[in-house]
Amino acid sequence: MFDEKDMILEARHVTRRFPASGGRELTACQDINLKFYRGKTLGLIGESGCGKSTFMRFLVRLDVPTEGEILFKGKDLTKLRGEELRQTRQHIQMVFQDPGGSFNPKMKIRDIICEPLMNFGRITASEKDAVARKFLDAVELPGEFAGRFPHNMSGGQRQRIAIARALALEPELIVMDEATCALDVSVQKTIIELVVRLQKEKNIAIGFIAHDLGLIQAFAHQIAVMYLGSIVEVLPGEDVEKACHPYTRALLRAVFDTKMDFTKKIESIDSEIPSPLDVPPGCPFQTRCEHCMERCRQVRPGLTELKPGHEVACHMFGREE
Amino acid sequence: MLEIKNITISYQDRPTVKDFSMSLKEGKIASLVGESGSGKTTVIRAVLGLLAGGGKVTEGDILFEGKSLLNNTPDQWRRLRGTDISMIFQDSGAMLNPIRKIGDVFVEYIRTHEDTNKKEAWRKGVEMLERMRLPGGDNIMRSYPFQLSGGMRQRVGIAMAMTFQPKLLLADEPTSALDVTTQAQIVRQMMELRDEYSTSIIVVTHNLGVAAYMSDWIVVMKDGRISDSGDRDAILHENQNAYTRKLLDAVPSLGGKRYV
Repeated sequence: MFDEKDMILEARHVTRRFPASGGRELTACQDINLKFYRGKTLGLIGESGCGKSTFMRFLVRLDVPTEGEILFKGKDLTKLRGEELRQTRQHIQMVFQDPGGSFNPKMKIRDIICEPLMNFGRITASEKDAVARKFLDAVELPGEFAGRFPHNMSGGQRQRIAIARALALEPELIVMDEATCALDVSVQKTIIELVVRLQKEKNIAIGFIAHDLGLIQAFAHQIAVMYLGSIVEVLPGEDVEKACHPYTRALLRAVFDTKMDFTKKIESIDSEIPSPLDVPPGCPFQTRCEHCMERCRQVRPGLTELKPGHEVACHMFGREE
Repeated sequence: MLEIKNITISYQDRPTVKDFSMSLKEGKIASLVGESGSGKTTVIRAVLGLLAGGGKVTEGDILFEGKSLLNNTPDQWRRLRGTDISMIFQDSGAMLNPIRKIGDVFVEYIRTHEDTNKKEAWRKGVEMLERMRLPGGDNIMRSYPFQLSGGMRQRVGIAMAMTFQPKLLLADEPTSALDVTTQAQIVRQMMELRDEYSTSIIVVTHNLGVAAYMSDWIVVMKDGRISDSGDRDAILHENQNAYTRKLLDAVPSLGGKRYV
């Protein structure tokens, strides 16, 4: 559905296991295959602890997968070392959830924004002020903020600074880990508008983590739904209401909306998410699924393509092999 | 049942909430919405007499069942809090003592307010937990807070708050730290409490979607003042208030505006 020429990053069979107490293993990501395209947003959605942040951290090489490869323009990120890795890092940047925690509190905004540029020798110290003002302008903040410290700013302003810093190196991919969930809804809206505008101007690929399906469907081109370390559904952003997987359906029903029918009883999955330490064999969602069949308890469903751009991992939709 | 009359709340002589009024009838749910720093939490803390850092109600009055709450002695507060009026916090995990088991805290809480023995209090605690759809209440009573998930801890908090079937329940952002699926569970349970015990509830939230689903009455706050208030339909439809519309507009909705 997207032009394969525009694909800049591909994750292939990515699996990550962490050692746990008692000789057990915790599988945070299991056999994940995703593609990122230039100028497109991939929204990764799921509950806390489903492994979505673990996966995104591979893209910026904050961690390496146990198995699988991550190809950035043909180069496997997991195998890069030394100077080559350092040079590659400038193409993939990250915006964190808590903008307060991701800045050095003793650095001025000017230095925060220009630090990546200085690291790669792209500007000299005398140019700092002008460059910082340029990026502040890009994220719609006044230029005099360059002399401020992070604690002098509100959460929304700080998140804009984080975006400015991520943009400074003109990356091709930006990973945003719940970049708006610490913000008020009204501020969240302005940040999303900013991100969408910058993406259009600079043709950046974005990987956006969220747990609110209502938010993600507003600006993602493709949505990947993750549950207990596995991708259970991938679908185009505009087709979110055509989602098939029972888990995605449950997420859809849990969205509170001011335009919803208030007389309708809210439905939700009652049980808790099982511990990732003992994922049941078969379908990961079997313990909470209302359609659970005998087959789901034994065989793990793979992603099956329903139509271009829409894949689902569920036995109800899978073809018989 | 609860009447807040033109109150002004100040911290160190600086007024934070100005001229705030609302009233709540039995079995109704009201919500306070607004951005961070608009004074929502200050208002409900004032109702429970728990203003932090020397905050004071300098003008106006808060009446609970016809009696003013402002001149309560510590002893009167003790009898009221946790029985007639209780509160759910944003993160019930932070409210629980991390080095004590749930059961230990729960039994102490019950025995503070009721003359009963430990065994009876334990049984009551388990019963409340199971009523909040926490399976294996006994097991949870023997757990430490960190052993439970965020949603479970929040349900423990609600179970505690509901033990004495309070007439008024104050909920300070009860779902904002939770996942959407857990949020839906908690919202549904709070509404069931209202239907079962006709508890009146005040919810503080910045999520207008949640507020709209739960409440009979919505108060929109901005900079410590009421910017808009009305019943749900009046707020959501045919609203003329620019700030309310801006907030409503910002709620991401399914099938709503798409930016791409």
